Amino acid sequence: MDVLQAGIGEFTVEDPDDLRAFMRTEKRREMVDKVMPEAEAVRRYVKDGDYVSFDFSSFTRGPACLVREIIRQRRQNLWFAAKFTLMESTLLAEGGCLRGIDVGFLGLGNLIGKAVEEGRIKITEWTNGTLTLRHLAGAMGVPFLPTRNLLATDTLAYSGAKVVQDPFTGKPIALVPAVNPDVGLVHVHQCDIYGNARCFGPGVSPLETAMASKRTIISTEEIITTDDIRKEPAKTTIPYYLVDAVVYAPFGCLPGGAQGVYEMDTEHFLEYMAASGDAQKMAAYLGKYVYSVASHEEFLAKRVGVEKLLDLKRQATIKEGYH
Amino acid sequence: MICQCARLIEDGKIVFIGYGLPQIAAILAQRLHAPRMVQVYEFGAVGSLPETPFVRFTMGGPRNCYKSLAWTNMNTIFAQAQLGMVDLGVLGATQIDQFGNLNSTMLGADYTHPEKRFPGSGGANEVMTQCWRTVIVIRHERRRFVKQVDFLTSPGYLDGTPGARERAGLPRDTGPWRVATSKALYGFDDHTRQMVLLGVLRGLSVDEVVKEMEFTALVKEKVEELEPPTPEELHILREEIDPARAIIGKTARD
Repeated sequence: MDVLQAGIGEFTVEDPDDLRAFMRTEKRREMVDKVMPEAEAVRRYVKDGDYVSFDFSSFTRGPACLVREIIRQRRQNLWFAAKFTLMESTLLAEGGCLRGIDVGFLGLGNLIGKAVEEGRIKITEWTNGTLTLRHLAGAMGVPFLPTRNLLATDTLAYSGAKVVQDPFTGKPIALVPAVNPDVGLVHVHQCDIYGNARCFGPGVSPLETAMASKRTIISTEEIITTDDIRKEPAKTTIPYYLVDAVVYAPFGCLPGGAQGVYEMDTEHFLEYMAASGDAQKMAAYLGKYVYSVASHEEFLAKRVGVEKLLDLKRQATIKEGYH
Repeated sequence: MICQCARLIEDGKIVFIGYGLPQIAAILAQRLHAPRMVQVYEFGAVGSLPETPFVRFTMGGPRNCYKSLAWTNMNTIFAQAQLGMVDLGVLGATQIDQFGNLNSTMLGADYTHPEKRFPGSGGANEVMTQCWRTVIVIRHERRRFVKQVDFLTSPGYLDGTPGARERAGLPRDTGPWRVATSKALYGFDDHTRQMVLLGVLRGLSVDEVVKEMEFTALVKEKVEELEPPTPEELHILREEIDPARAIIGKTARD
């Protein structure tokens, strides 16, 4: 196939056989109890320089407590997959954690834009759809997937995509390289102790993220039994053998919500928005919600409080479909 | 702007709804004249009947995804769009040029040191690529209507030459269809693909509108007078969709 154009963005592609070798030896087939505190999960599976991906969004079923723990442990030089993100890029960047971002959507607030303008953070340009498609390629164990998106744009020129002449139809088509994150973070509604996980509602790409990622950390609202899982197998989104750690994290999405469980905390989000344009305010925000509390439990007890938690739970009146 | 956009959404179509104002336009359209319109969101909700009052910020939450026909995921939705199943896309935009190309990435000439960095494509590139037609909602400010975008994030008619999209491999017969602002409505010339002024809000003149654009749009021979929000539209917006005036208060200023 003739390569007609190649984007200049930075990216890496795993050799499919190296990837298979990893999946063969490093992902345990035995059902072992993987429940651990988020501090241990992050310590074990998030290293400096890692490529980090997550599902779904800051407002809905997002692994916010895991992201806060990564910042708390002061990870560095991470590359982050910003597909459909709103807060995470800013938080990680201002926490000094990021080397670069794959941009589907950079997120809200001026600080992250400034970090890019001043050359402090590298960017490879993508789109929400193509970055998610890259995760599918990674999940499939193939080095790329074709798409008709990106064609004819500057987005492509600064991505890692290539344009080829499709050998079957002769038309130009774009190829996006697979991404196999070092670690994927997925917050779920229910999970058993081995990692069989259920996500309710729509989502970006929970299964693809878990498959493509070399290590997957699940944070879960509820721990259920494997018997429950086997009673309704259609509800299993992610099978246990893709999962490396299970963190019990009720209200783990805050300030986002978990559908059918609790609503997003709009007040907190507005506080974030006010901080997202000012470095000092953001430092204070991180101090308050990340560095001055040792864990998610402490965050809930000291920064959120029972009254707020009950209010957010009460607001989640729509439950249908989320079970 | 919201009402103008809502009026463009046809009943019975499958419509991709982008984040923000398009969501409100979609709810308004569904209440008024397009009850059988099927809304599609990029994270996989199909055919939602969003609960009002409209919930700000979140798109994937239960109120917005209420009573959906299906809950899928991003790869599935964009695949269905690529398959040709999505008739219309409704998008907000930061900057647009005379051929309907969109910029939501950056201003300036140096990619590694942009003058101003925006959030990026999000799903806009997919929408402009795959939907049969796209409606773009944008504030009517001079700096948003440029001759050539600094960065071509999402494809319109590219350089305006015949068949430019198809030559690049983009789907045949697709492209931007309408641009709705708080002051005007634009289309695209069938041959030259330049933006054409189709209508101007009642009470405004053509001159007032074109003055607020960096490039010279074509002007249709008979420019329509656009009706301001009707009492019915306002009632639904104010009483049902946004009683707290969290959003419509802002756009009324534009």
